[in-house]
Amino acid sequence: MIEVQGLTKSYGDTLALSDVSFTIQKGEVVGFLGQNGAGKSTTMRIIAGSLGASAGTARVGGFDVAESPRKVQAILGYAPETPPLYTNMTVGDYVRFAASLKGVPDIDAATKKALGRVGLEAVSHRIIDNLSKGYRQRVGLAQALVHDPKVLVLDEPTSGLDPAQRIEIKNLIHELSLGDDRTVLLSTHVLSEIEAICSRVIIIHKGRIVAQGDLATLGGGAEKKVHVELARPEGAIDVLRKVPGVTLVEHDGVHLVVTGERDVREAVAAASIPFGLLSLQGQRLEDTYIQLTTRETT
Amino acid sequence: MIGALTIARRETSALFNTPVGWIALTAFTFIGGFFFTAMLIGYYSAFSESVLNPQQADQLSVNEWVVQPFFSNLGVIALFIVPAVTMRLIAEDRRQRSIELLLTSPVSSFEIALGKFLGGMGFALVMTATTLPFMWFLYALGDPDSGVVISNYVGFILMLGTLIAMGTFASALTENQIVAFMIAFAGGLFLWISNWVVQGMDDGPLKTTIDYVSMLKHADSMGKGLLHTQDIVYFLSFIGFFLFATSQRVEALRWR
Repeated sequence: MIEVQGLTKSYGDTLALSDVSFTIQKGEVVGFLGQNGAGKSTTMRIIAGSLGASAGTARVGGFDVAESPRKVQAILGYAPETPPLYTNMTVGDYVRFAASLKGVPDIDAATKKALGRVGLEAVSHRIIDNLSKGYRQRVGLAQALVHDPKVLVLDEPTSGLDPAQRIEIKNLIHELSLGDDRTVLLSTHVLSEIEAICSRVIIIHKGRIVAQGDLATLGGGAEKKVHVELARPEGAIDVLRKVPGVTLVEHDGVHLVVTGERDVREAVAAASIPFGLLSLQGQRLEDTYIQLTTRETT
Repeated sequence: MIGALTIARRETSALFNTPVGWIALTAFTFIGGFFFTAMLIGYYSAFSESVLNPQQADQLSVNEWVVQPFFSNLGVIALFIVPAVTMRLIAEDRRQRSIELLLTSPVSSFEIALGKFLGGMGFALVMTATTLPFMWFLYALGDPDSGVVISNYVGFILMLGTLIAMGTFASALTENQIVAFMIAFAGGLFLWISNWVVQGMDDGPLKTTIDYVSMLKHADSMGKGLLHTQDIVYFLSFIGFFLFATSQRVEALRWR
């Protein structure tokens, strides 16, 4: 649904994006991860057609953004990090305006639906200026949703929100991604959000893609470590070593750490030792992320 | 073009949702009314003086004494007020980032420029409409030449269009509304008075060119009730030029 090929963008001498390529399939929810200034917003703006690329192409739904931007924009909803609001309008008027701009046939119905989806019906007559940041962020989402786009591009939809609002927006995006076969590209630097809603992750660092793949691959790591808590570890070590798939058993002073070539929790549980708790400690997304983005690129 | 009309509708109503719009409208109507009253008084005293001279009284025309100077003064007021109305058109969108909504919606840069211009025009037409009671007053009490009145209205609206197109362009140049105001005002003033500069000059291509550029010159002939094609073309070509320049500027915003 979204194909980005060799995207490069420079501002004067500064290279903001360098040869960025990725493909997002229809119906996928992809997390776009990177530090501030890594190039997330630049990439998203190019996909949404509000910024031209220096080189490379972006295609959405088969249309080239640079060649037929209107066709792309008709099927794409974009919510920039700072919601693009006319703050002296009421919520309802603003969403109605966005619907009309996007050429929605039944403006009133589309507005009502979008406001309902983001939970703004109750405030539809209020002036945007008087709303809290969480509500404004929702108005920004309503604007992106009002023409029922096939593709949603959301730039840090939870930035600057308090934890409760964060969870609300996160749940909202999760709901939006369910059904309808909607494709979502979501940028954030909050890892837990990606782990909660995305099926795949693209990590960008200093304008380059440094990793992309399924959450399980990037987050899981090659080997799995299982923590086994036991009342009396003596003797259990020998038993655990014989469990199929286990490659190493260590005692870290608190509990036993069983390393296997895969998730060996079931096998360990079946080994009839009186354990108190089994927990998986695979390599997490955070580890991958920190590892990739703190590495100096030369 | 639906996109342009959508933007225009929002802009016009936004102007009536802000103090700026109402202040501009009030100032225009008040100062316009003030001039109108002053001209009526001037006309009345000239008329009183000529009571003893019927031949002179016949030559006192309400068109020359009231309609024409009234619209000429309205033009001066518009010179100050239009930049205050147009300064926010695009500059405000850029400052509060709402321009991103326009740039990522399926509307072209030209539609954005046209929409902003028409939004300003909508306001200008309301502003122009506030002078209708003055004209009604003239018709009720006297016998103005409808041809002159109509041609003055056409000239005034075309002039407003030129100032608004230029103001829209100025507003696209910067995020700062004050800067947009200054550019639009300076440009309008130049177009207004450029023929003053060349009045003493010998006839030649330079004088002819600057004379042609002057808005005052073209507005004057319309004020007399003459709707020449060349005057209409003058205003329309300025409007067209600035609309094009604005759309180019909006397109350039996509490359920053």
